[in-house]
Amino acid sequence: MLTYFIRRLFQSIFTLLVISMILFGLISSVPGGFMSVYTERSDYSPEDLARIRAKLGLDDPVPVRYLKWLGNMIQGDWGNSISTKRPALQEIADRLPNTMLLMSIMLAATLLVSIPLGILSAVKQYTWFDHISTTLAFAGQSLPVFWFGLLLIIIFAVTLKGGDGKPLLPGSGMYTLGADFSLADRIKHLILPVSMLTFVSAAGYIRYLRSSMLDVINEDYVRTARAKGAGERRVIYKHALRNAIIPLVTLIALDLPALFGGALFTETIFAWPGIGRLYFNAALKTDYPLVMAILMIESALIIGSNLLVDFIYAALDPRIRLS
Amino acid sequence: MKQIKTLLALTLVSVFVLSACGGGAATEGAPESTQAVETEGAAPATQEAATGGTVIIGTPQEPGMMNTLLTSSSIEDAVTSLFVEGLVSVNEKGEYVPVLAKELPTVSEDGLVVTWLLKEGIKWSDGSDFTCDDVRFTMEGALSDLSQVSASGYRDIESLECPDPYTVVATFGEVYAPYLRLFAYTVPDTAGALEDMETWDINRNPVGTGPFILSEWEPGDHLTFTKNPYYREEGKPNLDSVIIKILPSREVGMQLLGTGEIHALWDLTEANFPELEALKDQGVSFVSTVTGENELLSLNFGNNDGSAPADPASNPHPILYDLKVRQAIQYAIDKQTIVDSLLYGNVNPGNSAVPVGTFGCPQPVSEFSVEKANALLDEAGWTVGADGIREKDGVRMSLKIATTTGNQLREQTEQVLAEMLKAAGIELVIENVPSDVLFASWESDGMRDHGTYDIVMYTTGPSTDPDSHLYSSFHSSEIPTADNEGTGANFSRYINADVDAWLDEAATITDTAQRKDLYCKVVEQINKDLPRIYLYERLSIMAHRNEFQGLKISPTFVDFAWDSANWTLDQ
Repeated sequence: MLTYFIRRLFQSIFTLLVISMILFGLISSVPGGFMSVYTERSDYSPEDLARIRAKLGLDDPVPVRYLKWLGNMIQGDWGNSISTKRPALQEIADRLPNTMLLMSIMLAATLLVSIPLGILSAVKQYTWFDHISTTLAFAGQSLPVFWFGLLLIIIFAVTLKGGDGKPLLPGSGMYTLGADFSLADRIKHLILPVSMLTFVSAAGYIRYLRSSMLDVINEDYVRTARAKGAGERRVIYKHALRNAIIPLVTLIALDLPALFGGALFTETIFAWPGIGRLYFNAALKTDYPLVMAILMIESALIIGSNLLVDFIYAALDPRIRLS
Repeated sequence: MKQIKTLLALTLVSVFVLSACGGGAATEGAPESTQAVETEGAAPATQEAATGGTVIIGTPQEPGMMNTLLTSSSIEDAVTSLFVEGLVSVNEKGEYVPVLAKELPTVSEDGLVVTWLLKEGIKWSDGSDFTCDDVRFTMEGALSDLSQVSASGYRDIESLECPDPYTVVATFGEVYAPYLRLFAYTVPDTAGALEDMETWDINRNPVGTGPFILSEWEPGDHLTFTKNPYYREEGKPNLDSVIIKILPSREVGMQLLGTGEIHALWDLTEANFPELEALKDQGVSFVSTVTGENELLSLNFGNNDGSAPADPASNPHPILYDLKVRQAIQYAIDKQTIVDSLLYGNVNPGNSAVPVGTFGCPQPVSEFSVEKANALLDEAGWTVGADGIREKDGVRMSLKIATTTGNQLREQTEQVLAEMLKAAGIELVIENVPSDVLFASWESDGMRDHGTYDIVMYTTGPSTDPDSHLYSSFHSSEIPTADNEGTGANFSRYINADVDAWLDEAATITDTAQRKDLYCKVVEQINKDLPRIYLYERLSIMAHRNEFQGLKISPTFVDFAWDSANWTLDQ
């Protein structure tokens, strides 16, 4: 077990290293780069541009810059955002609570919606209910998020009015500007982004759970349970669901890194001040220390959660360790 | 059956939670932003004049930094204009006006000594006095290693003396003609050591002399500016606070403007005119100003084979090097139709490299005449081929035009241009590229720098002083070549000895009238030689709700808040 553990750990670290190299190379090859902010303006002389370029460390060739960046990062210095001059980790820490709030509520809502719908869809296979939920799930998976988000804004934050003549729901931001914090206000602002995220991500979960449930329901042990006279409710929950939900747990574990990364499109459309939006803006400005920091944390989390799932499997199933 | 009910109930609960919240909020009598802040101020009884209130201004980008010496993007210049002031500024007519100086600076006979007299009694928002020392510190900051602002002009100052706290005397090594634009911003000398600039406290907690000062910054969401308690004018600013709200996009901003969630939207373009028309009956209007910039066509005199010749005569463009061809192209373009059909008649047709401002030199709009275009091309030996496109010595009169992708207005303009040129037997092939590629530098094989284009369409123009713009665009020494490592913006590879001489002379004198005279000669010569064809004058546009008044934007635009002390909000 220990050798397996160590081997997988080293593999993961190596993977991260390769990822960092690829990411850094990609960001460095963006045409124009961060300097384009300055070169587009007419009032900067060549001397100004040369000085700024040198100051931003853009004079070195890409491999040298990469090694410098890697060395600093290993020592815990993730660099300063080029546009704000603040440590990249500080920028991330500022937005993290907002993203966690949005994404954890979204995850809870997704499970709350998708588990019952997934089960019911499988149990009532080929009924009107199954058809409707499967169609909706397909729709949720196929709708482009940026389009769907704007549609929600136009319907709920522009067209529909509440009792006081104001739009029914706020279309952007986390709270009403200038107002004191109130839970009702925060919840109001959460409704649209959470609903959209839930609709889109529940779709996948519903389809996954439905098919996994269908597999299990046709298993011999479920038939045995029925034959022994167990009630339908007991068969579904005690025998079928427990087995069908195991793959779903894996899926959830692999989705957990999104709690950090946020939802790029959703945050951008609804002006949610989270990591996804931070990343989007940093990428637009080619603010590479910040982009790298976000991508590396996200990569580490994804690889970490994969590792975790592997270990849990290994602990549960000895055959995996040997392969 | 029972279990289905339970499951349905579970699903319904989640739906119910969501709808319940919506309903609850609506009956609450929603505390709207403006009212909530207003209650902090004086009692409503004092509301005789339109004072007080909070204006929310939307912008699609977030500023990174409040320290003028480290700002780079226009949104930062815009937001900082709420609290940063210069010795002089530019008003809505494009003229220089004194702000922290008593009057415009005076220049010595030889043009080498510039003197500013500062207003007395001005305080920074932290209560300290604004004096000549702050001006000197601003210059040192601009010249320091870490600075990210242009050092042009400051570099030429040999010494800056403070004979008394309210007099600034700068001695230049050589004449710096655009001296008026110096010290368009000021930085307090209490900010810290120059080598610590990147960690100064004022980077996020700024200190300024303007009417407002930052009181809260919620990253990614908004910035709140409240009254500067030390502002020099009694009773000003009118507003209690200004909130800069960071929005995902202009499209969302437009919607929020219609619903009244924001009062103004920063930085729109001509492409937003259709939406602005549609929002008129929802209480939205817009203010605009000419920026001095033009949407233009840059025509390549040199061969587009990538040889980047220093003198296009040695390797000329097979079609465009001929003046008659360039004239024919201009004759074939109906600028007024472009303006009327694509821009709702809201802008002026392009006519001059320096259309407005202190040095403005407007010219008559070029004539539209397909007959003259055809006659010129016939004269130049281009004969119409079988498909209606002209040919000469086996060369087909087919030109590629490039502009930035994803800009609908530009794409429409290209299509209209292609139609117009076709009438003169010229084929225009549209091959657009992303803006990063179009504007790429010499090192990144930029198409403008290396001259690997026929026609490019983009926007440029002088800032308030045309000196650097005209010089870098039209002086022969500014042709990007391998020898000068791609320096300069003379992308047309335009060479005219007279233009060179006028530009050289203008850079050495400080007398405004004489300089204007020389720049006008350049502008007229450009319109004769046609390295660039000016299509229409670009506007800076800010949309606002009608209850928000007093918004005046100057042609420099980025400092849209220069008159924010006089803004009002009807409530």
